[in-house]
Amino acid sequence: MSLPLTGPAADVAASGYQGYELWAAQVNATGGLLGRKVQLNVLDDGFDPNQTGTDYTRLISQDKVDLLLGTFSSLLNAPASAIAARQRMLYIEPSGGTASLFTRGFTNLFFAQPGTTESLPDLFVQWFSSLPSEQRPKTAAYLTQDDPSASPAVEIFKAKLQALGVTKVYDQSYDPSTSNFDSIAASVVRTRPQMIIQGAVASDGAAFVRSLEKLDFNPEIFFQTNSPTDDTYPDRVGTRNTEGVFTSQAWSPTASYTGNADFVSAYTQMFGSPPTEDAANSYTAGQVLGAAVKAVGRIDQNALADWLHANAVDTIVGPLRWGPTGVPVGTGLLAQWQNGTLQVIAPKSSATSDTVVYPKPGWSN
Amino acid sequence: MTPLMPLGRAWIPIAVAALISYPLLSDDIYYQNMLIMTFVLAIGASGWNIMGGYAGYLSLGNSAFIGLGAYTTGILAAKAHISPFLGCLVGGLMCAVGAALLSLITRRTRGMYFVVVTFATLQLLGVVATIWSSLTGGSQGLAMPLPTWSLSYQDWPFYYSLLGLLVVTLAVSAWVRRSKLGLGLFAIQDNEDKAAGLGLRTAVYKMIAFVLSGTFLGIAGGIYAYYVTFLNTAAVFDIITSVLIVLAVLLGGRGTLWGPVLGAFIISPISDLTSTGFGGADAGAFRLLLFGGLLGTVAIFLPRGVLPVLESWLRRLLPRGSSSTPAKADPDQSRTAGSVSDGDRGSGNGGDQSPALRARGLRKSFGGLRAVDGVDLDLARGRITGLIGPNGSGKTTLFNLIDGTVPTRDGTITLGGLRLERAGRPVRAHAGLARTYQLPRLFANLTVVENVVVPERRLAFGRLWTTRVSSAERKRALAVLDDLGLAAYADQTPTGLSYGQRKLVELAQVLWLDPILVMLDEPAAGISPALSERLADLVRSLRERGVAILLVEHDLAFIASLCEQVYVMANGAIIATGSVAEISADRAVIDAYLGDPALPVPLGGQA
Amino acid sequence: MIDFGQALIFGLLIGGVYALMATGLTLTFGVMKIVNMAQGAFLITSTYLCFALWQHFGLDPVLAAFLVMLPMAALGLVVYKLVIERLERIDPGLTIVATFALALVAEAFLALLWGPDQRATDPAYSNKAFHLGQLVVPLAQFYACLLAVVLTVVLQVAIKRTWLGRAITAASENPEGARLVGIEPARVGAWLFAIATASTAFGGAALSFLYQFTPDTQDFWLGLTLSVVIVGGLGSVPGAFAAGVLLGVTESLTTTYLSVRWATAVPTLLILVVLTVRPQGLFTRMTRQDAGS
Repeated sequence: MSLPLTGPAADVAASGYQGYELWAAQVNATGGLLGRKVQLNVLDDGFDPNQTGTDYTRLISQDKVDLLLGTFSSLLNAPASAIAARQRMLYIEPSGGTASLFTRGFTNLFFAQPGTTESLPDLFVQWFSSLPSEQRPKTAAYLTQDDPSASPAVEIFKAKLQALGVTKVYDQSYDPSTSNFDSIAASVVRTRPQMIIQGAVASDGAAFVRSLEKLDFNPEIFFQTNSPTDDTYPDRVGTRNTEGVFTSQAWSPTASYTGNADFVSAYTQMFGSPPTEDAANSYTAGQVLGAAVKAVGRIDQNALADWLHANAVDTIVGPLRWGPTGVPVGTGLLAQWQNGTLQVIAPKSSATSDTVVYPKPGWSN
Repeated sequence: MTPLMPLGRAWIPIAVAALISYPLLSDDIYYQNMLIMTFVLAIGASGWNIMGGYAGYLSLGNSAFIGLGAYTTGILAAKAHISPFLGCLVGGLMCAVGAALLSLITRRTRGMYFVVVTFATLQLLGVVATIWSSLTGGSQGLAMPLPTWSLSYQDWPFYYSLLGLLVVTLAVSAWVRRSKLGLGLFAIQDNEDKAAGLGLRTAVYKMIAFVLSGTFLGIAGGIYAYYVTFLNTAAVFDIITSVLIVLAVLLGGRGTLWGPVLGAFIISPISDLTSTGFGGADAGAFRLLLFGGLLGTVAIFLPRGVLPVLESWLRRLLPRGSSSTPAKADPDQSRTAGSVSDGDRGSGNGGDQSPALRARGLRKSFGGLRAVDGVDLDLARGRITGLIGPNGSGKTTLFNLIDGTVPTRDGTITLGGLRLERAGRPVRAHAGLARTYQLPRLFANLTVVENVVVPERRLAFGRLWTTRVSSAERKRALAVLDDLGLAAYADQTPTGLSYGQRKLVELAQVLWLDPILVMLDEPAAGISPALSERLADLVRSLRERGVAILLVEHDLAFIASLCEQVYVMANGAIIATGSVAEISADRAVIDAYLGDPALPVPLGGQA
Repeated sequence: MIDFGQALIFGLLIGGVYALMATGLTLTFGVMKIVNMAQGAFLITSTYLCFALWQHFGLDPVLAAFLVMLPMAALGLVVYKLVIERLERIDPGLTIVATFALALVAEAFLALLWGPDQRATDPAYSNKAFHLGQLVVPLAQFYACLLAVVLTVVLQVAIKRTWLGRAITAASENPEGARLVGIEPARVGAWLFAIATASTAFGGAALSFLYQFTPDTQDFWLGLTLSVVIVGGLGSVPGAFAAGVLLGVTESLTTTYLSVRWATAVPTLLILVVLTVRPQGLFTRMTRQDAGS
């Protein structure tokens, strides 16, 4: 695999790599795959998609690796999946759910999460529409980073919420390098939205919240992608201020899917800190790969792909099954911060809390 | 030109043959891949070299050409279904236009500002490309069509097209280097203002250099886009690629022909090896360390690059077969200074009595200081006119106004009937105006002969592509140098010349222009009496040919021996004019010099 | 109207922050005409040092900055001696390349020492604001702005009134002349560079409590500080301060009234506009091209 071990996604890749390492160690402890030990061959691409392409080409043609595992971010998975497609190798990727990745007709591509960005808003919209209409907020502000996953997701939110009668009062996107959100927050606040939907990616989420805190503006509903699952998030915004923030997740440490609890404890034991979502994603990718190889019984890329198209795999994020282009059938989890913990509130089968905090309480210091 | 040439002749075809046959012999796609990336870098480096190595304009934005070429090709492929192999040519065209625009910017920004402009332009292009997502796909990226040929051909189409492009780029670079265009570019690198003053249309030269620099890289960018199958603005308009290009050139040898290619062939494999040699979470940091360290080390310890160092070693090792033989002038060439001018110019203003230069109302202030305050000048052909005055009286500023170094809105300047006050320096040179400097400025990158031959009376586009010094030009130049006693230095660079010798060469440059008016700024200062005498002879012979001469000097004896007429300047204005005897008795002149130690001695007893 | 006032306040404050970050660079660029591409790296190094002091001793970043000044000054001295002095003589373009290389190396070391995780210091004032009537004034930016003002004033006084400052100015305008009066340009240059690098300690401290940072953050600040300095112009430390404010206000007004998406492109656009229209910067006087009679 080629991972962005340096550059802007380095923290993601670091824990992601650890997820792969844990999976490999566990597989080897029980005899390996097809009787052979799994060896991870990892290269760094510095978050440069050109380098990603070069790396995967090298892995395939020079090192002649048996199997491939994917990398993090849609940006990098795009060239990598194309190279894998041309070389007819199976490509399972842990993170990078932009719909456009799956529209190129690749039959060897699989996404190791329960849903892509297409389905990200679904559970939230379901909950929203379950509210009686006079209780629902009427206005919403949409703010997103210009990013391959965040922007499309927010577009879908906009469309679906508008269909439910929500008026858009603010709609802007910002450059990925934006660090100061005071002016942006002020213009959002000026429109006095009852709901804010933000397509955040990393530290921008916490930064925006801090600006809202300084302006002392609190929306009734606040949905942020990605950021609320960061382990630095509660520190940055203040533990009590996380209360009521919605987000979506692929994985939850407390979900009761097969092997999840074991995964959490094994990871914590091996690396000294609990797993992040990125680690869980890569572990899942490993699980999918492992399941396919065991079932098919040999290293035959096409056979493996066919098997995955026809079967479901039990993973720590639940049973995964895929459509013909590698899009998983299903959605991620809807989560909300409650009392200092991130709880899963939908779907019911994996929920860890049956209450939903609404409206969002005000900021405290 | 260098000791490597004989060897060079041999290894070029071998290397090319090796590269052509490699994919046919081995089906290791990994090395094909590495070579493809190397070719792109080499094309970028060679192209950059024309702009940065020949003309001296360092750019940190050349990856923008890759980006422009890549996106043009990608958009044409996605929206109009045009094959990327055709689309890339359009990409090259876009880059040519962009490069031409960039060269226009250099009218205002040079040196370090230019570097920053290129850096900023690169970023801006990236931002525009990202925001204009309806065209470029923005942050979502743009997917290219997948290659349509069978896997058994692997990456051959990419490989061979890029190899071919590299060969073309190098051929063009070599041609430029040996041509008059190259001569002009190197002169511009050394001293752009002086080059303009000698009649080189620097704007045209630079535009051509920039266009060549960017076009091939743009085409390569298109092919590269097809190769990577997916474009993303952040990755394509990336500063690191630009840095790699610069690194390749610096490492290999800036300004040489093969240096950039050598640099690319060193760096690309290293880049590959480091991404694979180091594993684990710290790999990236080590890569950065290696690159930064390499770039820094090269810049600090090897500023001229590997190739020049290699060449100087070889020069020491090889037997002395190519040392410079002193250039002999053609013995039956006439030894009068009348042989100086270029025959096709039709000089012969011997009988013309109209004033060469007529200047009216010249004025220039710097802040509150009036450096030149309403000066009128009439300079006749075939006459030597002196210009004297105390320090700070505005003499050099006046020169600068007339030759265009300092722009001004006030006053008129007419030379041989042409109005020049709005014209740029090259135009003034073409009109027949030439000047020398207090501190002689010669082009250090050019040999003495080349220095003499570089001035241009007019821009002939076709001539730009001919060889630097034609045999006819060389003959004439050698004759001039022989006259000046400098023939022995003809094929060396000016660094070995003494101060006085440089002044003489500068004068030779001026004469090459076959000017109507020559302005000499303290020509006799700081040189021996013997040289000074030779200089005076030259000036007299110019007068014989009908050239008007304006001479600034503090050495009154020199002035007296040459000038029929003298202007005296003080505080920015002309306070007296007349023969040397007349002005040295003039009350106003003596007053002006009072308090100034350079008091002219009345000429009673001077010879 | 309140909105305009708020946008203006934010603009002024963020402009002050920009000016603070650019301070060292205005010295080296303004007085010595050296383009130091390692400015972002120096800032981030200071940031990490302040962070380390915060992490281990709980020391407030601004106070930590006073301590961090010393190692940074030493770093500046070393960089000057090894790199800049050598290269300025040969070709200023090489200085740009070499300092850029230095920035990469620094980023690598920071990544090795502290890893890629997002960090920040969190003094009490970092997410508070005070109110001026209806207008909100974030405290962290306000302090950074104050630092910027104080630092600019101190440096400007140092340049104009102290012997060292005048010597440096003289040496950069006329090295030969300076030598004649006993000023060795290389020595005073080294001093200035050391002071400039030391001053990044304050910008670095502010960075640590304003935003989350990683070693990668130096890229962003490099581009920004270059914009400030170029827009402000040669030879003007207060001019650079004004330029920073101009940038901040333009950015803030663009965000509020035009388009958020373009806001971060403002510094780049301004560089290009200024360099084509008035290359010597907005706040300098034209100097005489030639000297002598």
